[in-house]
Amino acid sequence: MDLTYTEDEEQFRDELRSWLRANIPDEWTRPGFWRSLPSDESFRMRRDWERDKAMAGFAGIEWPVEFGGRGGTPGMKAIYDEEMVAARAPQTVNALGLTFLAPTVMAIGTAEQKRDIIGPMLRNEVIWCQGFSEPGAGSDLAALSTRGVRDGDEFVVNGQKVWTTNASHGDKIFAMVRTEPGDSKHRGISMLLIDMHQPGVEARPLRQLSGDSEFGEVFFTDARVKATDCLGSLGEGWGTAMLLLSFERGASGIGQYTEFRRQYDEIVRVARRLGRAQEPVARQQLARCLAELECLRYHAMHVLTQVEQGRDLGSEASLTKLQWSETFQDLWEVFDDIAGPEAVLAQPRPGLDLIPMQAQAFWSRSVTIWGGSSQVQRNIVAERLLGLPR
Amino acid sequence: MFFALDAEQLTFASTVRDFLAHRFDLDKVRAVVDDTAGDGAPAALWKAAGEQGWLAVLVPEEHDGLGLGMVDAQVIARELGAGVAPGPWAPTVLAGEAVRLGGSAEQQARLLPRLATGQLAATVALRGEGGRYAAAEAPFEARDGRLTGRALPVEYPGIAHTIVAAAGDGLYLVDPAAPGVSVTALSAYDGTTRVGAVELDGAEAEPLPGIDAAAALLDRAAVLTASDLAGVAREALRRTVAYGREREQFGRPVGSFQAIKHALADLHVGITMAEHAVLFAAHAVDAGLPGAALAVSVAKSKAGETAVAATGAMIQYHGGIGYTWEHEAHLFYKRAKRQAAVFGDVTMHRERIAALTIG
Ligand SMILES: Cc1cc2nc3c(=O)[nH]c(=O)nc-3n(C[C@H](O)[C@H](O)[C@H](O)COP(=O)(O)OP(=O)(O)OC[C@H]3O[C@@H](n4cnc5c(N)ncnc54)[C@H](O)[C@@H]3O)c2cc1C
Repeated sequence: MDLTYTEDEEQFRDELRSWLRANIPDEWTRPGFWRSLPSDESFRMRRDWERDKAMAGFAGIEWPVEFGGRGGTPGMKAIYDEEMVAARAPQTVNALGLTFLAPTVMAIGTAEQKRDIIGPMLRNEVIWCQGFSEPGAGSDLAALSTRGVRDGDEFVVNGQKVWTTNASHGDKIFAMVRTEPGDSKHRGISMLLIDMHQPGVEARPLRQLSGDSEFGEVFFTDARVKATDCLGSLGEGWGTAMLLLSFERGASGIGQYTEFRRQYDEIVRVARRLGRAQEPVARQQLARCLAELECLRYHAMHVLTQVEQGRDLGSEASLTKLQWSETFQDLWEVFDDIAGPEAVLAQPRPGLDLIPMQAQAFWSRSVTIWGGSSQVQRNIVAERLLGLPR
Repeated sequence: MFFALDAEQLTFASTVRDFLAHRFDLDKVRAVVDDTAGDGAPAALWKAAGEQGWLAVLVPEEHDGLGLGMVDAQVIARELGAGVAPGPWAPTVLAGEAVRLGGSAEQQARLLPRLATGQLAATVALRGEGGRYAAAEAPFEARDGRLTGRALPVEYPGIAHTIVAAAGDGLYLVDPAAPGVSVTALSAYDGTTRVGAVELDGAEAEPLPGIDAAAALLDRAAVLTASDLAGVAREALRRTVAYGREREQFGRPVGSFQAIKHALADLHVGITMAEHAVLFAAHAVDAGLPGAALAVSVAKSKAGETAVAATGAMIQYHGGIGYTWEHEAHLFYKRAKRQAAVFGDVTMHRERIAALTIG
């Protein structure tokens, strides 16, 4: 048992910390700051800040240097995630690209794709959207019906994607498109890398239950994409997508723990302010959440250990997702219970501004849906980890 | 970062597991459960515990032990839980810990080598009837080196050569044969473990001079119990999954029904977390981490809750057979219920978590 990081890793922590300290204005760390800005402006500020961070060498932490990464260890990535949360750094605007697309490109992309996609993504010159879900195809992704018809060295794409995160700010979209009449549902799909700034692509924002519009709809009407802008082989998009989805945010459990633990402390402060911190039932509920959060931290250390040992976690990512998403949702349920009637007041009261917390409570309803719903994750855990019959 | 068992710990685990599978399977456990007049401490198992180092794990090398830590001890506890194994392993190891933590050099030299080999069985009496497991709520009162009070449930008091008794001012060693000591067997529904009451009426007792040993002992007891619970839960789930694959209704294996799948998937997540939590708590205690008390309460509350749920599910997803005496489900269920309640139940440990994080 050894729960420490190496000297190099701790040195990296120091460097990152000082950069963050020098580059995050105090005002940005105030709860509710980002929400107080118009969403386009907040997006632009975060986009620029993230670019500067990348230029300073604090991006692509564990990616190979040849792809523009830092060539760091999995431990450094965990430290990065932890310190970013601890410093209340702005959240990435390119999550889907960084989390999913980049590692897939590194694994199976052509030399040109590696050169043209990863660097610009790190510098936020290109914001990526993930075009998987459609009105008729969510959990059952293979039911998708967006079509691409070959025209010379291009595909002409028609169809619709939905719940696309960053739809209004996206530059490009990695989209699952049916390009061949495959003999089964899972064949004949290609993952096409489509430019969103063209007449055939229209993005419309959707209003979420929180009132924000982080996601939207993307319509393709005779949109064009070069046949070479396909990740993985043509017609083999299902395999590409499975590989892409396997890049779960394994080691970042430590960052999630840091964030959720801070939220726990904020909820405790609210409980104190409302005079409920000594109520036995509230204490039991909070303690149950805290225990689950601690388990998430231990689990993150387990995952990091496995990654460092070079082990493939496979379907264990589903277990990780269930633990963090269900715990996060439970925590905010408890917040609602503790805040009581105050929980629904969308107006700050003296010494009590619950609005940023309400936003988290709303967001907690989404995390058990995206990235594979909890029901789908339970199917995976039951069938692939426990071996129960289909 | 290395948060996992090392190769030697994995070997230790499989040694215990293999021994139980080949030499002390559920038929043997059942024989102990059914022999209600017996002492519940099968000789074959006790001999193995002594010979294979299960009892020596925490005893320092200078006293003929292995000098290992709680991480190693929880490995053994987990396998014993998975095998619902009877016998005074846990109380003897805990009594040894009391002597190691609080005993004088002379007391250690006198007792530890014999506890390490299994020459002596021992037990701990840390809670009064109806009371809580807390150093501040000790079951016995000390006056002029004599103890008075009543503790229960105490594991295997009938065969213990020494009883570690908690009084308000610290821990004491009590000789069960001394005047003023009465030990009564109590029948209890978890037949895998014998329990009783220890009543002291001005009984002579030998103090363990170390301070703060009582609180440390309670935390260690909670970790080993949590580990036993994690083992019980994991084995209950394994058996339920196996049954779900084989039992058919409506023309398909019942384990293919999503209502069952999802419940078992959640249990798998919960048990995995309980295992992590026990491992971390054991390490935190070994390393004296500042968060050790919190980690112990996380582990005990999580393991207790999960084991009760997993063994309840074991009964439910076996259907009618799961409710029979003949089926093994009740062995796991009853052990989980008992272990979840001792050394601090879920509610008590959650309250401690609240005290540590809310104030
Ligand atoms: C905030 C947010 C951001 C998102 N961002 C993106 C994005 O950037 N790109 C993108 O492509 N998509 C995105 N999505 C969409 C998301 O991936 C889908 O919502 C998700 O896959 C579920 O699909 P669905 O909405 O069609 O629900 P459905 O699949 O229709 O599910 C409805 C209900 O049925 C359950 N269910 C479905 N199948 C099964 C089964 N086999 N067994 C048991 N229960 C089942 C589900 O769990 C759910 O409760 C986002 C969603 C949200 C909420």
